[in-house]
Amino acid sequence: MTKRFGETVAVDRISLDIIGGELLILIGGSGSGKTTTLRMINRLIEPDEGTIAINGIDIRTIDGIVLRKNIGYVIQQIGLFPHMTIRENIGLLPTIEGWSREEIDSRVTELLTLVHLPPDQFMDRYPKELSGGQQQRVGLARALVMNPPLLLMDEPFGALDPLLRRQLQDEFIGIKEDIGKTIVFVTHDINEAFRLGDRIAIMHEGGIVQLGTPRDLILNPADKMVSDLVGSDRLFEHIASLTVSDMMVPASSIISGEMPVQSAIEVMVQSGSTVAVVRDRAASFFVAQLPTLLQRRDEVKTVLEATDPPFFLSMDASLLSALEEMKAASASFGLVMEDGEPAGLLLPDDLISRLV
Amino acid sequence: MVSDLLLTPIIQHIVLAYTALLVSIALGIPLAILALYSRNLQTFVMTSANLMQAVPTLAVVAIVVPLIGIGFWPAIVAIILRALLPIIRNTWIGLSSVDPAIIASAEGLGLSEWEIIRYVRLPNAYPAIFAGVKFAAILANSVAILTAMIGSGGLGSLVFEGLAGVNMMKMLSGALPAIGIALFLDASFSWMERRMVPRSGQSELE
Ligand SMILES: Nc1ncnc2c1ncn2[C@@H]1O[C@H](COP(=O)(O)OP(=O)(O)OP(=O)(O)O)[C@@H](O)[C@H]1O
Ligand SMILES: [Mg+2]
Repeated sequence: MTKRFGETVAVDRISLDIIGGELLILIGGSGSGKTTTLRMINRLIEPDEGTIAINGIDIRTIDGIVLRKNIGYVIQQIGLFPHMTIRENIGLLPTIEGWSREEIDSRVTELLTLVHLPPDQFMDRYPKELSGGQQQRVGLARALVMNPPLLLMDEPFGALDPLLRRQLQDEFIGIKEDIGKTIVFVTHDINEAFRLGDRIAIMHEGGIVQLGTPRDLILNPADKMVSDLVGSDRLFEHIASLTVSDMMVPASSIISGEMPVQSAIEVMVQSGSTVAVVRDRAASFFVAQLPTLLQRRDEVKTVLEATDPPFFLSMDASLLSALEEMKAASASFGLVMEDGEPAGLLLPDDLISRLV
Repeated sequence: MVSDLLLTPIIQHIVLAYTALLVSIALGIPLAILALYSRNLQTFVMTSANLMQAVPTLAVVAIVVPLIGIGFWPAIVAIILRALLPIIRNTWIGLSSVDPAIIASAEGLGLSEWEIIRYVRLPNAYPAIFAGVKFAAILANSVAILTAMIGSGGLGSLVFEGLAGVNMMKMLSGALPAIGIALFLDASFSWMERRMVPRSGQSELE
């Protein structure tokens, strides 16, 4: 889609697939087109070029009012109605839709509980009588009232102090699990993006520079801007989102168990590796360490006799839990398997030098 | 004609002022709403409303005569010309001075234009509308005295006859009830305002 405002190209030929049930982050500097993109999804802004489809239906064929009643939207400035109580704010759409008072009250109670505001305390207050964080929660509750399958959130925590922001993020992670909705979430806080996002789209001057999971962005940043933004050079900050496969050393060659120790040492020295994968006749895998081979080269004939049983890891295990398991098992390295074949080695020494 | 009926001057006066006021409200509020959506109408309404403000009340009363003659209805027109301005202007200001973020969030929720007026703009404009209507009511009350000159009848007739005949009692019998009505209007509008304007909307505009 493309959207121009006079001379300004607010959104420049972006193309975006949002997966049902995911939380997609739009992140970028001020004026990068995040809000404009969001408002095109619910037809508050019509794109100059391009189309948007939801579940295969072109949204231009849906009346804007109807569309918006089925898409929750939390605007950047919250925008609670000052002349209405919290009950009336959340209950406005149901009132217009002709729900009964009991239905409205029970829905409002349910939603206030969901966003951690005790209903009996907050129902009949006015927005002015609420703190910023509490208003933000009411804004979310109001957007959820018609139980829309899609939720658009524009910097919902932007105006909050860091401590409160973190608290609301934590709560939101819980709520997100409960409500199971597709969410498009705008922020310009990269930490928030990493904490909440399933995928992150990085916007710059109206375009999407890169779209991917947090790991994609950290490990394969498209350009310097992305790597600066996500901190690709400070991988340790992202250790929680890394998996074993991100940090393993690919298994270069597999040594046969029958190989004489001396030849194995030569192979390893030549390839510059201190750990090698060894396969025995029964196609079981072991690991040989260069120092052990050197120490025991006079006692043993074949390399198999000087190997250790490996500590197996799977490709997609989280790096942190893999390291914990290795520590518990006193393993000094792990053999990473994929489909029954060795894919690589996880070597803590090497890991540390790559993380910092 | 109503003025031919045997109504006491007080009732004549009240009928005159209130008919004109109600018509002014019925015209002024929709005009102000329409002005929100048409820049041309907005300019026209606000310019003519302001222009009417600049013309002396006596001239407004006088100008009606060559156009539509004298009597009850011309008097109504003269009062409306005076009372419409504060209603339109205050309503328009009230409706259009709602925080844009609040309108944006209403649009985002999926409210239609009419629903935004009904549930968001009007309630936010109540204090301003009330102030406008109250001012218009007091204006209508005083213009309704002047219109006795063009045959509207009512308390104004007593005042003018009293003045002409140097009859102080007669003049006061017209003027005092008019003052009483003005005070009553002021008090009753203040009371209604306290009753009807929601408590947090109020502090927004004051
Ligand atoms: N209604 C409008 N009229 C004119 N220009 C606009 C309008 N809305 C947005 N723009 C321009 O389009 C560009 C993108 O704006 P947008 O609001 O989408 O940015 P954003 O990424 O949401 O920024 P922020 O983080 O500051 O909210 C900006 O240059 C902005 O000035
Ligand atoms: Mg924005």
